Amino acid sequence: MESSRDISRDAYRAIEDIVGADNITDDPAILDSYAFQWLAELVRPERSHYMPRPWAVVMPLTTEEVVAVTKVCNKYHVKVKPISTGWYHWAAPLKDDEPTVQFDLRRMNRILEIDEKNMYAVVESGVICAQLQAEVMKRGLNINIIGAGCSTSIVASASAYFGGGPSSYFLGSNSDNLLGQEWVTPAGEIVRTGSLSSGCGWFCGEGPGPSARAITRGTLGTRGGLGVFTKCAVKLGPWEGPPVLQPTGKPPAYRLPIPDNFRVYTVGTPSFEALAEIYYEIYDNAIGYIFHRQFNLAGADLAAALWLTYLDPNGTMNDVEARSKDPEVQKISEEARVSFQIILQGRSKEDIELQDRILDEIIRRTGCYKVERFCEADFAEFTNMYLQRMGHKHCNFVWVGGYMGSWMQAGTPDFVKGYVKTAIDGFERDQKSGLLVQCGGDAMMGCGSTLGGGGFFALEQFVSYDPNDNASVDACIKHMEDAITDCKANGIPLGKEYLYLQIGWTDERIWDDLSKMPQQFVLNFQRKIKEAFDPNGLGDRNYPWLPEGWGQQKTIAAGSAAVAGVGKP
Amino acid sequence: MALEEFRADAMRCTRCTYCRWIPFDLIKSDRFAKGCPSMEAGKFHAYSAGGRLVTALSLMDGRSTVTEKTKDSVFKCTLCGQCDVSCKMCRYDMEPLAAMRELRFDLVENGHTLPQLEPVLESLRTEFNMLGKPADERGDWAKTLKVKDLTKEKAEVVFHAGCRYSFDGDLGPVARLSVKILQEAGVDVGIFGEAEHCCGGRAYGMGYRGDLDNSARHNLRAWKAAGVKTVVTPCSDCFHTFKRLYTAEAGSDIEVIHMVQFVDRLVKEGKLKFTKEVPMTVTYHDPCHLGRQGEDYVPWSGTEKKIFGQAVAYDPPKPRYTGAFGVYEPPRDVLKAIPGLKLVEMERNREAAWCCGAGGGAREAYPEFSAATANERIEEAATTGADAIVSACPWCEQNFGDAVEAGAGALKVFDVMALVGMALGIEEEA
Ligand SMILES: Cc1cc2nc3c(=O)[nH]c(=O)nc-3n(C[C@H](O)[C@H](O)[C@H](O)COP(=O)(O)OP(=O)(O)OC[C@H]3O[C@@H](n4cnc5c(N)ncnc54)[C@H](O)[C@@H]3O)c2cc1C
Ligand code: SF4
Ligand code: SF4
Repeated sequence: MESSRDISRDAYRAIEDIVGADNITDDPAILDSYAFQWLAELVRPERSHYMPRPWAVVMPLTTEEVVAVTKVCNKYHVKVKPISTGWYHWAAPLKDDEPTVQFDLRRMNRILEIDEKNMYAVVESGVICAQLQAEVMKRGLNINIIGAGCSTSIVASASAYFGGGPSSYFLGSNSDNLLGQEWVTPAGEIVRTGSLSSGCGWFCGEGPGPSARAITRGTLGTRGGLGVFTKCAVKLGPWEGPPVLQPTGKPPAYRLPIPDNFRVYTVGTPSFEALAEIYYEIYDNAIGYIFHRQFNLAGADLAAALWLTYLDPNGTMNDVEARSKDPEVQKISEEARVSFQIILQGRSKEDIELQDRILDEIIRRTGCYKVERFCEADFAEFTNMYLQRMGHKHCNFVWVGGYMGSWMQAGTPDFVKGYVKTAIDGFERDQKSGLLVQCGGDAMMGCGSTLGGGGFFALEQFVSYDPNDNASVDACIKHMEDAITDCKANGIPLGKEYLYLQIGWTDERIWDDLSKMPQQFVLNFQRKIKEAFDPNGLGDRNYPWLPEGWGQQKTIAAGSAAVAGVGKP
Repeated sequence: MALEEFRADAMRCTRCTYCRWIPFDLIKSDRFAKGCPSMEAGKFHAYSAGGRLVTALSLMDGRSTVTEKTKDSVFKCTLCGQCDVSCKMCRYDMEPLAAMRELRFDLVENGHTLPQLEPVLESLRTEFNMLGKPADERGDWAKTLKVKDLTKEKAEVVFHAGCRYSFDGDLGPVARLSVKILQEAGVDVGIFGEAEHCCGGRAYGMGYRGDLDNSARHNLRAWKAAGVKTVVTPCSDCFHTFKRLYTAEAGSDIEVIHMVQFVDRLVKEGKLKFTKEVPMTVTYHDPCHLGRQGEDYVPWSGTEKKIFGQAVAYDPPKPRYTGAFGVYEPPRDVLKAIPGLKLVEMERNREAAWCCGAGGGAREAYPEFSAATANERIEEAATTGADAIVSACPWCEQNFGDAVEAGAGALKVFDVMALVGMALGIEEEA
């Protein structure tokens, strides 16, 4: 292997020749704008806000450029790591001692096709959800926007990571919605999946033969650990609202008028048991377009004070403090304590009226109620705006800029309600130090579904800490560790905090943990996939595998040769 | 303020990239979703507000030093403030625009300057204007006017023409018309003519805080001596500088009114009647300094305090500038009152307006970037079907005019006041 000085000189020049001098940089300050990542301080030594600095950032314009640069990286043994908008810390390089080319994909930003008839769209990785949504709505169609919001890349959530959001209940998760995709493997080969591999267009993500999508995706995706997805097609769903969203009002809480064929409600429930019950009823009756527990991200104690302040363009955090003491607002907090938002979309007047009546009946039967203040026009229109466009997700960080999501174990409503008490008690306990935002033990937000069609969801605890205060950072880390202990003590599978903490671990520690997990054959199978598609080890451990000799050695009999042929053009 | 005072902003930035886009709720198409001219030019994340916060942090912590590329990323930005609006959609504890300005001050104070800006700054320091013109030609635009000379007389109101209206022959009629309208409305108005000095706002944007201080000291002293209580200007850059920067940096409490606000008031009070048809479809471009950065400024000094354990509030409460209350409607209402004129909107308007490209020293330091930014706006304006793009700032108009001349489109470019002149039928005589 070459020394990093050799790499710097020769590889840099070779890449520069491919993308042009304006599209590659190794300027330290510019590299730092990629290394600087949300959550880094929770997993990096000395609470550093920086993930490892990339060796260079490269901005390709075409798939061919991605291929060519990847080949250079193979030659010089430089790792590759794609970043789309970069709202996830694991889009950065993971190790300090591994020279890594960061592919910033924002120049690959074209919507290539919107097939109205077959209801799919083809996009490059730099296209964000808001851009695609604006265009497909003009054609009476919609996309699922993930819970992270419309600032994120469609390709990233469809191809490379999770993919659930408030509208997944109706429109499907982006992992479900993924159709054909174009993938540049770490070896620098182009793989086209599904119907695309047969030259038949983008309409199908599977076949012929075994599922290539299962290789590139799975539940959590490759998270940048196995090359670059340059394009993909996603399934679209029906949109019965206006072709162009025309919000009214002033920032920050723009309001989206509610058309006659829509309804927007916040529904309160007396308990989490009732929440599970009403969920099942709504799901069984197949009503609803968006189903989400959104506003409790601010904490059940403070949600009403925060959001009512947010509606005021002049509102400040000091106003939130004052409002939180107002008995009227406290009453609303209680009403909305175990609540969720639901948006109904009707295809006709009759349809919306029927859905409305069904919802009323379900609410009556389950002992739930509409939260009056949140159903008033101003709040309902704001809710409509928030959940249709998902353009306010940075509010996850509204308290102080630091948010870590813990729990989030997905399952049936009965499973989810089973961990809620542990999550609430643990969070309440950890807030007592005053080093986390004290917003009440239930700051649990969750999509109505993480699977298309509903029936399966999750709640995520919103832990807010100050990234500018080491004591607060430490308290958040402690809370993550506590959550893991609480899970273990109560027989609950581990949540998101575990995935996050792993980022700071050594390979050996991760493998040791993975060796104790069930279904290790998956990780051995993934090793085979990695060997096939990434012979020089350019991808990082975001695509997890178990090295030979770790854990159970029983693997399914899939040789690398068999895997290597899948989906190639 | 020192850069260190923005450390918390940097540490709390989440790299969400909202600052690259217009507020997401307002996105109507793929084509016009972007909000940050700097990102379009520089492409790397460091060219966004969030990226500059990281640059500041990286420099403060000695992780990097200032290179030519760093300078490029810091200065190739129009300081249009779109990022600030988008960031504050969800955040109450961030001031990205102020932080980016501070980063410039820091670089300039440490000798990391742009040679391209030196001639303009020299002109400011010796000729008191940003255009490299002789100071003694500054009052030429007003030679035919009968108006109080505030170097000798006193008046309640000073009409501050600003550098562009003073020296750009095409804009002279607009300045003269403005003075006539003020006089006919019975306002006790005067001008400083060749003794008028640049407001200093553009130098401040370029990173030269001291030059703003000098201009502010001179202008405030002159106004005080002339008994001035109110300054009226047709220039949005000057408006912003007097209204916000003089208040913040020099403690000014003078009333500041943009000419379009004044005309709007007269029209609404029935004191100004448009008599001539102006058969034209126009689209209005919100100047950054009148729109999202034109909000009323309330001086504040205080400290951060923690509430609910760790959430950030301020003691005393700190006013928020989100772009919600910029001067958006007065120019539109004036245009709508003109008979025969049809106003159509661009997709990105009001707090979401795309910048003209002239601000923050971009026009002077990076002409290509500035022109590309103007071209983008002209393209957007053309999609509305308008015959003309209208603004209320001579810097926007010049950038658009240059873009059109260079082939960006067939649109005409007007100042709102020029259309007012046509509607009053006094265009020629002005
Ligand atoms: C506040 C917050 C809330 C979130 N909530 C949700 C949620 O509800 N649902 C959900 O699905 N996700 C959620 N996420 C996760 C995250 O938003 C998703 O990973 C999303 O896809 C990020 O999009 P991005 O464009 O910022 O991707 P990036 O941050 O750029 O990348 C995310 C991961 O995908 C990889 N990647 C990106 N582009 C490519 C590509 N073209 N080819 C290969 N790999 C690629 C990166 O290496 C990285 O590992 C949340 C994140 C945040 C910060
Ligand atoms: S400056 Fe604001 S909008 Fe930009 S990345 Fe940082 S937090 Fe997000
Ligand atoms: S001020 Fe304007 S050009 Fe500069 S970073 Fe912000 S949005 Fe971009």
